[in-house]
Amino acid sequence: METFLGCKKLFIRFYNRSEQSLQNMTLSINKGEKVLILGPSGSGKSTLISALAGIIPEHIEAEVSGEVFSRKNVGVMFQDPDSQFCMLHVDEEIAFSLENRSIPRNEMDKMIADLMVHVGLNVDKRTPIETLSGGMKQRLALACLLALEPEVLFFDEPTAQLDPKGRQEIFDLLHQLSKKTNQTMVFVEHVLDGCIEWMDRVILLNDRGAVIADGKPIEILQNFQKEMEEAGIWRPRVFPEKWVEVVENTSHPLSIKLSNILESKSLEKLKEVDKQELVIHTEKVDIGYGKKTIVSDINVKIRKGEWVSIIGQNGSGKSTFLKSMIGLEPIKKGQLYFQNKELNKWSDRELYEKAGFVFQNPELQFITDTVYDEIAFGGRQRNWPKDLIETKTLQLLKEFGLERYRDAHPFTLSLGQKRRLSVATMLLFDQILLLLDEPTFGQDEKTANELIRCLKERQELGTTIMMVTHDMDLVDHYSDQVILFNEGKVMYQGPPNGLFSNEKMVQECRLIPPLHYQLMHERRGLVFV
Amino acid sequence: MKPNDSFLASLNPSCKLFTHIFVMFLLMTISNPKVTLFIWILGVFVGIFLGGWRIAYLFKRLVPYLGFSILVFWMMAAFGEGETTIWKWAWFHVTEESVTNGLTIALRTLGFVTYGLLFTSTTDLTLFIMSLIHQCKLSPKCAYGLLAGFRFIPLFQSELNQMRTAHKVRGYKQKNSWKAFMRYSIPLFSQGIRKAERIAIAMEARGFTGTKERTYYQTTQVVTKDWAYLCSLLIVVLALMMVE
Repeated sequence: METFLGCKKLFIRFYNRSEQSLQNMTLSINKGEKVLILGPSGSGKSTLISALAGIIPEHIEAEVSGEVFSRKNVGVMFQDPDSQFCMLHVDEEIAFSLENRSIPRNEMDKMIADLMVHVGLNVDKRTPIETLSGGMKQRLALACLLALEPEVLFFDEPTAQLDPKGRQEIFDLLHQLSKKTNQTMVFVEHVLDGCIEWMDRVILLNDRGAVIADGKPIEILQNFQKEMEEAGIWRPRVFPEKWVEVVENTSHPLSIKLSNILESKSLEKLKEVDKQELVIHTEKVDIGYGKKTIVSDINVKIRKGEWVSIIGQNGSGKSTFLKSMIGLEPIKKGQLYFQNKELNKWSDRELYEKAGFVFQNPELQFITDTVYDEIAFGGRQRNWPKDLIETKTLQLLKEFGLERYRDAHPFTLSLGQKRRLSVATMLLFDQILLLLDEPTFGQDEKTANELIRCLKERQELGTTIMMVTHDMDLVDHYSDQVILFNEGKVMYQGPPNGLFSNEKMVQECRLIPPLHYQLMHERRGLVFV
Repeated sequence: MKPNDSFLASLNPSCKLFTHIFVMFLLMTISNPKVTLFIWILGVFVGIFLGGWRIAYLFKRLVPYLGFSILVFWMMAAFGEGETTIWKWAWFHVTEESVTNGLTIALRTLGFVTYGLLFTSTTDLTLFIMSLIHQCKLSPKCAYGLLAGFRFIPLFQSELNQMRTAHKVRGYKQKNSWKAFMRYSIPLFSQGIRKAERIAIAMEARGFTGTKERTYYQTTQVVTKDWAYLCSLLIVVLALMMVE
C-alpha cells in the first residue's frame, strides 16, 4: 500500500547550519490519524512538519535527502497569529485562500459565510483583523486553511501565544472538527492539556532530531516520563486518568492527592506581611492609555516581600496597571505612592534604581552587545568603581545561570536565557520591586520553572514581586496577593485561596482554576444533585 | 487610509488618483496666484460636497499645512528678488515679484496637500491595491506583498513605543540621535525581517503563487461616473486657467 503521508530515510540540513536538523527519519501516517509530535526545542519538530507539508524544500530552502510522501492539498497553522495574515479584513483574508484556488467569485460569499460559522467566528465579516483577540485570530486562521479544502492539517504550536481559555477553545474546536470530518491532523505542541486526550498517536523526538518513541499517548506518557520532563513538555494535569472518575471516586489516587493539596491550602496560615513597610499604595487610581480609561477606582496596598499576581482576561488592563505602577504610563486620576512618597516626586533615575520592569519581549530591552555588558550597564552609567561592577555582575550571571554566555550577544541566547537575562539586568541595584509582564508566557515547563525558582529566591531575600500571568497554578502556588481585573474594575483582591474557592467569580471572569479547586467545585455540584 | 460613505469614496481609486495627479501637474504649470487660489478652493469645495469632509476635519487637517504655507510665503516674499520694491527694512526686501512668487508657491503647496488628502481620506486601501491590479496591471505578487506590508506599520509603531519605555527603565540616555536611531532600528528591522519571512511562507503555504491565474474577491471597474468626475474636474480647472 502506498504511504498516505510520511517520509523515508529523511535527512534535512539548513544551509546556515553545520548540523542536520533531522536525521534518518522514517515515518508513516495513515489517513484520518491524529498525531502529536513532541520533543525538546531544537529537536526538529517544526522542520519535520514543514517537510511533510511540503514547505521544505519548496518555500524554505534546505538540503534534503530521502523520500517524502506529501499530499497535494495541505494546510499549515503557525504559532504567531499575526504573521499568517496578509489582508486587512476578515472576509478578504478567507477570500485570499479561495482566490488562490481560483474559485469563481459568485461562489465565494456563501463559502466565506459557511466557513465563519464552521469555526465559530461570529463577528461581522468586515471586521478589521487587528481588532480580533488571539483566539479569534486562530479561528480565522483555521477558516483560511479549511478554505483550501486540505487533505491534511498541520499545526505548529497553534496555541503557544494564547491564554489558557483561548487554548481550551481552540482545542475544543479542533476536536469537534476532527470528529465531524475525520480529518488527518498533525500537531506540534508543548502543552498537552486539551489535545492529548483525543490524539491517536504520539511521536517523541530527541534533541538530535531522531525518533525515540512512537505509540499510543498513554504508553508514551507512562514509559517516557523522564524524557518528556527533560524535553520541557508541560505534563498533562489529568490525562491518562479520566476527570469524571476522579470527581466521582473519592478513593481515586489523583483525587486523594488533590484533596490533600486543598486541605493543606486551607490550613496554610497567611504570611504576616501586614507589619512590613508599604512599597506601593494607591488611592482611587484610574488607569488607561491615550484618552481611554481602562480600569477605575483602584485601591491597592503592596508590601515589602510580597508576591503579587495580576490576572484578568486579555485587554482587561493588567499590563497597563503594571506600567502605571512605576510611571511608564501616566495615571488618569487619584494618588499613587511609591515608598510613601508620591510617584511623580521621584526622579526617573532614583525610581528605576528601586524598581525594575521585565517586558514581555526581552529583545526590546537589550541595549549592549554582550551579556556581561548588559548586566553591568546601569553601574557604568552611574560611574561605579570597576571592581564593584565586576563582582555584582558576576554574581548575577551565576545566580541566573548565564556564566557560560558572558561574552555572547544577547540576541543569540535561547528564549529562556533571554528572559533570565532581562530579569538579571533589572537586579543590579538590588531593586526592592520587580515587575514582570507574563514572564513564563510561551515557554516550556523546564525554562519556566528555572525562572520562577530564581524569582522565589529573590523574594525570600525581600524583593517584592508583581507579576502579570495567565498560569493559575503559578498564582495559586506562589502569590500572597491576587489582583483580578474584570470589566473595568478590580474584581478581587486578596489571597488566591479566596478567589479560586469562589465558583461564581471564577466562572464570571472566565478563569480556569487549578485542578484541586475544580474538584472542589464539581464535588459541591454533585452534593446538590 | 479609511474610506467614508461619500461620492468620492465610491469612485475607482486608480482613476481618482490619476485625476488628482493630473490636477497637481496643472497646478505646477500655473504661475498666477489668483488661479492657484481658485483651484485650491475648488479642491476644498470638492472635499466638502463630494468627499464628505466636515468642517472640524478640515480644520484639523488643513490648519497645520496653512501655517506651513504662510511660512513658505514669508520666506519667498521677504527674501526674494525683484525690481519693484514695496517695503524694505533691515535685511527684509519685499518686492511685487517676490510677493507673487511667494503666494503662488504657498498656494501650490496647499493645493497639493488638499488634492492628496482628497484621495487618501476617501480611499479604501485594499480596493486601491485591487484597482492597481485590475486597471494598472500591477502583478498580484507585488500587490499582495504591498498589502501585507501595510499591516506592519501599526506593528512597528507599538514595538518602537515598547522599546522606548524599556530603554527608559534601563536608564538609557540618547546622547546622539544617530546612535539612538541605530539602537532602535536594528532590533526593529531584525524583527521585521523575521515577520516578513514568516508571512511570506504562510502566504505561499496557502497556495499563493504570485501569478495572474487566480480569481478576485474584490474587483474594481472604471464606470461612467469615474469618467464624469475626471472630465468635469479637469474642465473646471482648465476653464479657471483660461479665464485669466
